[in-house]
Amino acid sequence: MRRRLSLAVVSLACALSGCAAFAPPQPWEKGMLARPDMQIDRPPLEAKATQHIYTSKEGAGGGYGVGGGGCGCN
Amino acid sequence: MTIHRFPFRAMAAEHELQVAGLDRASAARAAAAAIADVHRIEAKYSRYTPDSVTTAINRAAGRAAVPVDDETLALLRYADQCWRISDGAFDVTSGVLRRAWRFGAKPPRVPTVAEVDAARALIGWNRVELGAHDVRLPTAGMEIDFGGIGKEYAADRAATLLASHGVAHALVNLGGDVRALGGQPDGRPWRIGIVHPRKPGAVIGELDVVDGAIATSGDYQRFIEVDGARYAHILDPRTGWPVAHWQSASVVAPVCTLAGSLATIAMLRRDAPAFLDAQRVTYLLVDEKGRRVAPAGLS
Amino acid sequence: MAATDAGAAEASQPHHRAPGDAGADRGDAVPRTTAAASGARRGPDAATLLAAALALPGVMPAAALAQTAPDQGIVAMRYFDYRDWQPGAERMNVHSPSLYLLKPLSDSLSFEGSVVYDAMSGASPLYHNTLSGASGVGITEYRTAGDARITKYYDRFAVGGGVAYSSERDYLSRAWSVDLRTWTADKNRTWAFGVGGARDNINPVNGITQGRHRETYDLLVGVTQNINANAVVQSNVTYTDGRGYYDDPYKPFDRRPDTRRVWAWLTRYNQYVPSADATLRLSYRLLLDSWGANSSTIDAEWVQALPHGFTVTPGLRYITQQHADFYRDPPLGNGLRPGQPYTADTRLSAFGAFTPSVRLGKQFADGWSADIAMSVYRQKSSWHLGGEGSPGLLEFSARWFELGVQKTF
Repeated sequence: MRRRLSLAVVSLACALSGCAAFAPPQPWEKGMLARPDMQIDRPPLEAKATQHIYTSKEGAGGGYGVGGGGCGCN
Repeated sequence: MTIHRFPFRAMAAEHELQVAGLDRASAARAAAAAIADVHRIEAKYSRYTPDSVTTAINRAAGRAAVPVDDETLALLRYADQCWRISDGAFDVTSGVLRRAWRFGAKPPRVPTVAEVDAARALIGWNRVELGAHDVRLPTAGMEIDFGGIGKEYAADRAATLLASHGVAHALVNLGGDVRALGGQPDGRPWRIGIVHPRKPGAVIGELDVVDGAIATSGDYQRFIEVDGARYAHILDPRTGWPVAHWQSASVVAPVCTLAGSLATIAMLRRDAPAFLDAQRVTYLLVDEKGRRVAPAGLS
Repeated sequence: MAATDAGAAEASQPHHRAPGDAGADRGDAVPRTTAAASGARRGPDAATLLAAALALPGVMPAAALAQTAPDQGIVAMRYFDYRDWQPGAERMNVHSPSLYLLKPLSDSLSFEGSVVYDAMSGASPLYHNTLSGASGVGITEYRTAGDARITKYYDRFAVGGGVAYSSERDYLSRAWSVDLRTWTADKNRTWAFGVGGARDNINPVNGITQGRHRETYDLLVGVTQNINANAVVQSNVTYTDGRGYYDDPYKPFDRRPDTRRVWAWLTRYNQYVPSADATLRLSYRLLLDSWGANSSTIDAEWVQALPHGFTVTPGLRYITQQHADFYRDPPLGNGLRPGQPYTADTRLSAFGAFTPSVRLGKQFADGWSADIAMSVYRQKSSWHLGGEGSPGLLEFSARWFELGVQKTF
């Protein structure tokens, strides 16, 4: 089941991007990559709050960074 | 959304910043910062001000090396690359030719061969001693002239300063050298017209730019006409004489500094299209008969 | 100024796009070479002169070069309002204001810090409909948390160090971390390495135990790759190793192993879609847990630009989680064996959960921006992928509102 799920994600990503051409951009082509919505990390306050909610309501959390500290949510 | 315009004068020419996407007050603050930097560069590299970097270097010609800062070093290294890539056609020591060619003189006069040769003896970027932190002109009378790079460099810096003030859409025009940021606020590109080399006020072509620069070099800015022949200020440093391969050359490149240097070099080369193709830039050339030349597949 | 006197214009050039346009059909400034030029000098000369031009100070906005210290500060405030419940009963309610600051300290040094203040009221959710002896109904708990980080940027790498803490009546956590990021010369690939540790002190209010603690170490290795001018992907592997007290002191019979090891593999992908002026954000996270509560989470968002500086972002997250090895279905106490780990905590059950969300953002003048968002979370055993969710559990729901304001300076 898990394998099916990850395969689905990869195929979806591929289809949506039209299997994007691999052409790492030149410095002057990075304008779009600098957009806020193109940043991989979410704004810190938003990310901290949502990760805190999920970690406190689900079995395990993490994967986003190191040393963020814990909370008493077990 | 309004495009706020900020005209100003510097380097003995008219310039304009166009800023969109901000209110007038914020745009004015950003523009003021950019304009201040243009004045700074002008003061720092002007041939005419007594305490400029250029004057200090030129005054020490034939004598000691002059220590220079990182900005000047970067510009000199860039000038070195331009010299190499153009086989000596782009030479920042060629300003001395203005002693022979007096384009403002009345009545207009063509110099003698002797006068030109005397000036040529003082040209030669390959002789300039560029150190890690200093520069030396080996012969008294030699001169460095940042005129061929300074304005375009200032245009790039102005655009960057605007961006650092939160401007997402801007058009910088310093005396015809243009640097664009972010396209127009409504999503369309900036549309830049190319001045017609022979019909004042007319446009010979248009280019759309979202992010990038256009610089144009032409034979129509300064010239003398003697006995029906036009001698433009497009002088080949290797011969000392004007060339007339092109009426104008416009180059599109990611930054204005590059566009300007390539446009200047293109004007001096009969094989400009091949040269610019090898540089992987877009261009619009107007040949001596007024015909447009652009990359294959463009027109 | 170049004259654009349309009235006197000659037949204009067919419009074409200059290098650097998003979505341009040209990619980079690839020349349409004539037959003569194609054999001519190429490559090295072009790259060298461009490189020399780009080496001039200040000719390219720093935003285009993400591996330099920020040249602008940011201050942001956010307010979270969270509420959760199960059918027939309201449960926990949290109001949480927070503050964030990013401040460049020099052109190669930056400081980031935040503080959060949670006011929590209401019971912990009662997942099991067979549980008796509810724990802590009606208590308001407060939690404050803060963190600070300094990052130093060099030409080809950046190093950062940070500390964090979280404090509430029965729990104190202190953590540190160090990270190193290094990138290729063209800055299109960045490697990240991180190490961190945390020490938690637990003093439950019900006195069931005192002065317990636990220590955690984590390691992260990741890579970010600009795929092209419109797409970027990041993949991180994180390993967390913890030892110490993990039991939930507020849940009867709860007894957990004193170690936990979690592997997490998180891949995030952003694709700008020029034809829609929107960005698709996708992520997939695989968690492998030594307790057995493995999970897969996918997350998708569509950030749609609208006129006048607005953006609207619908999003959907789905997680499917396996139950922990020592999780036991209701009734409480079922399967309890002396000396063996046990939990009835539904957070460690097998379930699936969806979070649809929508966010509306607006960019104002002078570096101000604001956003409001709403998310709804629903967790059900029957939504477990494959259908083997833990039986006997009520569904759990939550919703949260967010309101945020930010200013760059």
